[in-house]
Amino acid sequence: MISESLRFEGFDSRSWTNLIGLFAPNVVHRLESEGADSDAPVADESSSAARSGSLIVVLDDREHVLMAMHTRNGRIKGLEYEGPDSLEAMAERWSASRCVVLREGVMEEIAERAAYKTERGDDYLAQLLVISRTIREMSEAGLLLTWPRTFEAAPIPTIGMVNRALDTVLPDNHAVVIVIWNGNSVWSALVLRRRDGFIDLVAGPDLLTRWTGPLGGDWRRDYRVISEAVDRAAAPVHLGIFTNLGTLRELLRSYDPGAWATAVAVRDVIVSPTPPYIAVALGADVVRATAKESARWLGGIDALGQFAPLANFVRSRIAEVASVTATLGFDPLNLLAQWLRRAEPVSEGGPSVDSAADQTVDADDDAEETPVDDA
Amino acid sequence: MHYWRLDRSAWRPGLTQLRDLGLPMVETYVPWQVHEIAPGQYDFGEQDPRKDVGAFVDMAADLGLLVFARPGPHINAEMTYFGIPERIIYDSACQARSPRQNPVLQGFPPRMFPVPSYASQTFLDEVGHWFDAVGEVLAPRLWPSGPIAMLQVDNEASYYFRDAPYDQDYHPDAIVAWRKFLEKRYGNLSKTAEAHGQKYVRWDDAAPPEKFAADDASGLVKHLDWVCFREQLITTSLSKMKRRMGKAGLKNVVTVHNFPLGDQGVAMSSPSIEKVLDLVGFDYYHARREHRAIKRRTLYLAGTHPLPYSPEMGIGAPPWFTPLANEDSLFTALTALAYGLRGFNLYMAVDRDRWYGAPIDSRGNPRVEAGAWKQLLSALNTVGFHSLARRVEVGIMLPREYARLSKATSLLGFMSPTVLEATVGSPVVACREQSFGFDGPIQVLWWKLVARFAEALTDAGIPYVYIDGDAEPERLESLRVLISPSFDYCDPARWKRVTAFADAGGVVVYGPAMPGLDLSAKRSLFEVPADGRRVLIDTDADARSVVDELARDLELKRPYPVRPAPLETTVHEDVAGARVLFLVNPGKTRLDAIIDVPATTRFEDMLNGERFEGTGSVKVPIGGWSVRMLSLRGAAHESEDTNTAVAS
Repeated sequence: MISESLRFEGFDSRSWTNLIGLFAPNVVHRLESEGADSDAPVADESSSAARSGSLIVVLDDREHVLMAMHTRNGRIKGLEYEGPDSLEAMAERWSASRCVVLREGVMEEIAERAAYKTERGDDYLAQLLVISRTIREMSEAGLLLTWPRTFEAAPIPTIGMVNRALDTVLPDNHAVVIVIWNGNSVWSALVLRRRDGFIDLVAGPDLLTRWTGPLGGDWRRDYRVISEAVDRAAAPVHLGIFTNLGTLRELLRSYDPGAWATAVAVRDVIVSPTPPYIAVALGADVVRATAKESARWLGGIDALGQFAPLANFVRSRIAEVASVTATLGFDPLNLLAQWLRRAEPVSEGGPSVDSAADQTVDADDDAEETPVDDA
Repeated sequence: MHYWRLDRSAWRPGLTQLRDLGLPMVETYVPWQVHEIAPGQYDFGEQDPRKDVGAFVDMAADLGLLVFARPGPHINAEMTYFGIPERIIYDSACQARSPRQNPVLQGFPPRMFPVPSYASQTFLDEVGHWFDAVGEVLAPRLWPSGPIAMLQVDNEASYYFRDAPYDQDYHPDAIVAWRKFLEKRYGNLSKTAEAHGQKYVRWDDAAPPEKFAADDASGLVKHLDWVCFREQLITTSLSKMKRRMGKAGLKNVVTVHNFPLGDQGVAMSSPSIEKVLDLVGFDYYHARREHRAIKRRTLYLAGTHPLPYSPEMGIGAPPWFTPLANEDSLFTALTALAYGLRGFNLYMAVDRDRWYGAPIDSRGNPRVEAGAWKQLLSALNTVGFHSLARRVEVGIMLPREYARLSKATSLLGFMSPTVLEATVGSPVVACREQSFGFDGPIQVLWWKLVARFAEALTDAGIPYVYIDGDAEPERLESLRVLISPSFDYCDPARWKRVTAFADAGGVVVYGPAMPGLDLSAKRSLFEVPADGRRVLIDTDADARSVVDELARDLELKRPYPVRPAPLETTVHEDVAGARVLFLVNPGKTRLDAIIDVPATTRFEDMLNGERFEGTGSVKVPIGGWSVRMLSLRGAAHESEDTNTAVAS
């Protein structure tokens, strides 16, 4: 999936950190938080560091805790590990958003097994999958426990499955373009190109501007120029997403079904070209929005059932056109969404994002039995 | 500036802009992987004009620039095999080995690969052939007949970031070297067996430990030996590479090596490497929130090495690293300068593949960010910053024997102390809590004691540095106070340096224990430092009261005190007195600094020209996470007599 001669170019520090901030808000949040208050920090239960992105690591020898640490607050003294069911409470007590319990020697075992299994020709993703499967083996043997178990239900795909999914999202010898404006200037941009089966180019705004020449300042017109330039300089564009920063930020944080479809309809987001799977997904979003609105109009009466036939149609179309979920065995966007929700920094004075995420996850859980949301 | 990654037409504009930024020297790697086109065949521009490193060096000379060349073999540079040819990487004779003789993978994109062994003779022989080839191009261009004034030997040689003690290197050549190390250390097999508490019938029995297994002090000896051996293996390997470079004609210029982030956790000894190379420095890639790490690392360089230098002062970063803004890079550079860094190489000055954030783009055009760097470099040149000094009276010693115990007892496998220090901020965070029969877990306590004293000295406004336990004795000469953690066991050679310091009139603060065991866990007599102060430090307040007492008894200088906390000042002076004062705000909040001054004093911000004046004190506003570089004007600078606050 990733070429060993991958090129990454055309970003200044602003455009790169902007892009990272959109998709990994916890990373940026951490960088903007105060540093440690000691060179040898020791965590205590009153530590008030933000939970988002923090991790507790406990290492035991089956009988005793040999070491415990909090990635933000330092060593934890006197932590009692009370078994697999205590992980959530442990995270709560020590103000962390995740925790992992490792049996002594498991890290070394992972390193040995992964090195043994990795083949010379494996690309980076294949190598990561080998490590993931090794970690899963350790987990299944009870030597490594994590909370929350966000990824535990997801099957680990083979590299073949991932490549088939990638064929849908980004076919060979094509490019995907995302450009985000802020006012009249490009705030950040990303071009991914796939060639000979591998992603071999990650390009940023500098390179894009070199390809296009000066842009006019009206992004609703400029997007055509950009697509044509990428066509010429890199590869034919398979999917292009063009929008402004405010819209994108809202959409990424919105739990409102139909938000994407509405934004596309009113041209706050331009998707051009629009591959079939995106068109169908946007259609599904409209269905979800309509269902939600009708429930409100009907005084809370669940009208989703009324839309089940349509939802089933949409779902079957997705599968028919090209279903990444079916290929991989899990919905990568759903996993990403869960990840992002948990990574979102806690806002001061407001409800914690974790609690918002929990509510959303609950909503998703409820919706699992509902064909529309599932679609 | 990476010549081979740029169009040749971009060389001259890139070099010109780099010079116009105020830099007198251009640094470049010279990648073996790029120049070797087949085993024993090289392209230095005959086929691909971008590979003409000779022409690049000549062009730099033509523009009046000196050159710092880094021919590896390991260069990283975000290259797929860190600059080493693929045929070498996959030659099992060259590969480092895990305890089970598996290869050892480094994890960075775009491809994990088995890392080479620093012990492998096959690898070192191949490196020699590369040096012969590159030497033909570079040697005629060495200073003084050419512009190449500095040569780096290898790069961040901490086992390719797989440096946890039981991660590697169990290569057969490393095992041979381990046994030789033991023989040299203990004299013979039976003494080695005795020290290790084992029955060794033949040298083959003296296998290195493959995982931690010790319950008491005597059980630790073998593990401490292994950690020490791994440091020595790197030093020896770098020494061999340097000699081999010399044989290829690459000699008689300054030789350099750079440490990665997480330097207190690395399996390397900077004092020992500086015995074989001329200059050892640290690489800096930090976010603003990591003020502590920047300060700690620089104070270590300032205390341990004659010339505090950074072979890589990051501007931007690789995409798979923590995202850094230009403000992070500027803050890092200014903070490091504030605490005593005297030289640096801006990495990267010119943009290239697998990098973001350089101030000059890949076609040689300056970006907006270039302006601030130009101002900083201009200010440093104007004031002659390299010739200034920071007066320091207190040193905190970092005993290597305790740091080695921390490494030996770290529990997170490939998440080594280096990785943990770079990411979590402490190299001891994952050590086991075990006490091994001592009063407490020394592997954790020594670091905590050091941190407490550092905090207390900072709060008191007393300048200090860190001194590696293995540093040359002359590094102690300018100090009045040496704080040296001491526990049940100790390196007798280090303790001798500590007591010699006391004999020469210095004040030694030691404790909590008086050592009684040597490195073989044998009872040994340790001299009590003359007039030393033994302290038991259980709380932060204990350290503060010791520091207050020292400050009072010895009248330790507190130059240009500042309030409120957490603001700090540092003063850099020449023979005439204070020239530059840095005002550092390590916190996020904007503050009004009140700096006490000995007389009517004017400060001028050397980067933006703002002026501040006062008598008795000067008020200077400072933004969150920022550093002001202030030149000193007025009575405090002009009159040496009134300059007492600068500790003259």
